[in-house]
Amino acid sequence: MVLEKTRRRRPGPSGTANTDRTQQPATSPGEPQGRTAVLTLDREQSWVVRAVRPLVGYLLVVPALAIFVTFFYIPAVMLFVLAFYHWNVFGATTFRGLGNFYTLFNQPLYWQSLLTTGYFVLVMVPLTLLVALGLALLLREGVRQARGGFARSLIFLPHVTPLIATSIIWVWIFDPQFGLANFVLTHLGLPRLGWLEDPHWAMPAVMLYTLWHSVGLYTVLFLGGLAVIPQQVVEAARVDGAKTLTMFRRVIWPLLSPTTFLVLILTTVNTMQAFGQIFALTGGATGRGGGPAYSTSTDAVLIYQTAFTYYHLSLAATMSLILFVILLVITVIQKRLSSRWVFYR
Amino acid sequence: MKNTRSSIASSEGRSGGRSSWKHSTGHLTLHGRGVAQLLIGLVFILPVYWVLVIATGHHGDAYAIPPVLVPAMQFGAIGFVLTHTNIVHYFLNSVFITTTTIVLVLVTGVLAGWGLAAYHYRGREALFMVVIGVMMLPQQALIVTQFNVMFHLGLLDTYAGLILPFGASSAAIFLFRQAFLQLPESFWDVARLEGANVFQYLWRVAVPTARPAVATVTLLTFIVSWSQFQWPLIMTSSKAVQPIELALSHYMASFSNNWRDLTSAAVIALVPVLVIFAFTQKYMVKAVVGEDRGVTE
Repeated sequence: MVLEKTRRRRPGPSGTANTDRTQQPATSPGEPQGRTAVLTLDREQSWVVRAVRPLVGYLLVVPALAIFVTFFYIPAVMLFVLAFYHWNVFGATTFRGLGNFYTLFNQPLYWQSLLTTGYFVLVMVPLTLLVALGLALLLREGVRQARGGFARSLIFLPHVTPLIATSIIWVWIFDPQFGLANFVLTHLGLPRLGWLEDPHWAMPAVMLYTLWHSVGLYTVLFLGGLAVIPQQVVEAARVDGAKTLTMFRRVIWPLLSPTTFLVLILTTVNTMQAFGQIFALTGGATGRGGGPAYSTSTDAVLIYQTAFTYYHLSLAATMSLILFVILLVITVIQKRLSSRWVFYR
Repeated sequence: MKNTRSSIASSEGRSGGRSSWKHSTGHLTLHGRGVAQLLIGLVFILPVYWVLVIATGHHGDAYAIPPVLVPAMQFGAIGFVLTHTNIVHYFLNSVFITTTTIVLVLVTGVLAGWGLAAYHYRGREALFMVVIGVMMLPQQALIVTQFNVMFHLGLLDTYAGLILPFGASSAAIFLFRQAFLQLPESFWDVARLEGANVFQYLWRVAVPTARPAVATVTLLTFIVSWSQFQWPLIMTSSKAVQPIELALSHYMASFSNNWRDLTSAAVIALVPVLVIFAFTQKYMVKAVVGEDRGVTE
């Protein structure tokens, strides 16, 4: 029945076969008859068909599975092997045991990259959280009206723009002589900064760009979290005379905690893996990335440089393995902590 | 539920005045809030706007102090970039890569989504976990060994190498599975009775009813695929197959301080995103946010 309807709406390419077939059910319409027909269909099936049918389900997943295994799972497994070998793409492999780790831990640059990553993550996570929450609270009312929805779209837009295309304008914004950033600073009576050319200010510049590019996503997530807070709870607290701050601390914040937790995980994982904007903002012009004096060489950037500028794939694989484990541990710890302070309704 | 209620009731007592949560953030009047919302929205859009201002500005506008605020609408620089560089070639590369990826993701997503929704077989749940688990793998930690795999498959520097690895998406499979689970089983029974095979059923019945999922997957794949940068940076070396984002990073090196030409090139890369965003903003916001929500839940 339903199939017939659908078919009538969008006729298939083989018109004659269709009309031929639609005539058949027309002679025997009606729900109960259809049901018995299905039953006979199942009974008529041979055991071969019944045995093979589930296999079809499995076969349908195979194309996607093949892609995932080849390009994601195999590389992930290889990581745990190749980190202990001296190798290159042509396959010359000698087992080095912990040798790669030894070499790596004796590189001051590696430790510096971990510190840089820590700096980036520890600033970005709370900053993003605060700004996103603030923006969400500001946008909360009127989001359903056109005006609020428009503002939300504008804040969200940067998140879907390609990193390199928008990095270009931000390099100009951070230009020490003609850029907008210094123009604003001088008007506020503050000293001009070297931004991307200054080892101390390159990272903050990258942070500003990253905040601009990503905060819209988290704002919308918070807006979603605020929207599902039950109005009765808020009303009840209001009747009990809760003031703004109390209301936020005792009602909104606890009820928002699942969203806060989600944002926390996403910002941590995303900032630890930031690459495109760092590459483009600090050293896209040299094709190397990493900023002045390696000041923006985070772990991810250093892995890229080690593997594809210095072609030291073994060391890069070792660094990748460590990053893999760090991210795994962080996710597990955050999951554990979440059970303690996230309030799930 | 019970806990919070009682804690709210006991918290801070009844000393407060009439201030309510609704009015709490609003020392600003409703009008003032609207203005504030709009101003913040404009701050966020400003850099994108500036790309247009400088690209269509007069020569030297990038060096003006105070900064130029109004576009002069001179399209000379964009014309120059279009005719004197290979940007059209890179643009078409991106179009080709993005479209092919979207088609592949839709096909593999529909097939796997149906395979995981409609059949019962041993290990189905495990298979689903394997499919979803891909989202948990940290991309930056895999890139080195992925390069190794790509080398051995002979996929470096090919279109296939830029398309195939992204031809299946966990999010797509998840969305299609959800959509197909909503379909009554009787549909499929009737279709079989009429002699339709799986593919005919998917094409004629299942996919048309899952149109929202198709739209979401298309938008998501478009955003990710059009913005692709790190993967082609590492996996390609010849200009023949490279996408536009990578070309922009080349231009950053070769045009170094020629802001007008650089931003013109950026405009060309941005236009498809801006146009599609303008028409689908609500769906796009929902699609992207929904995906990120799905990652951890």
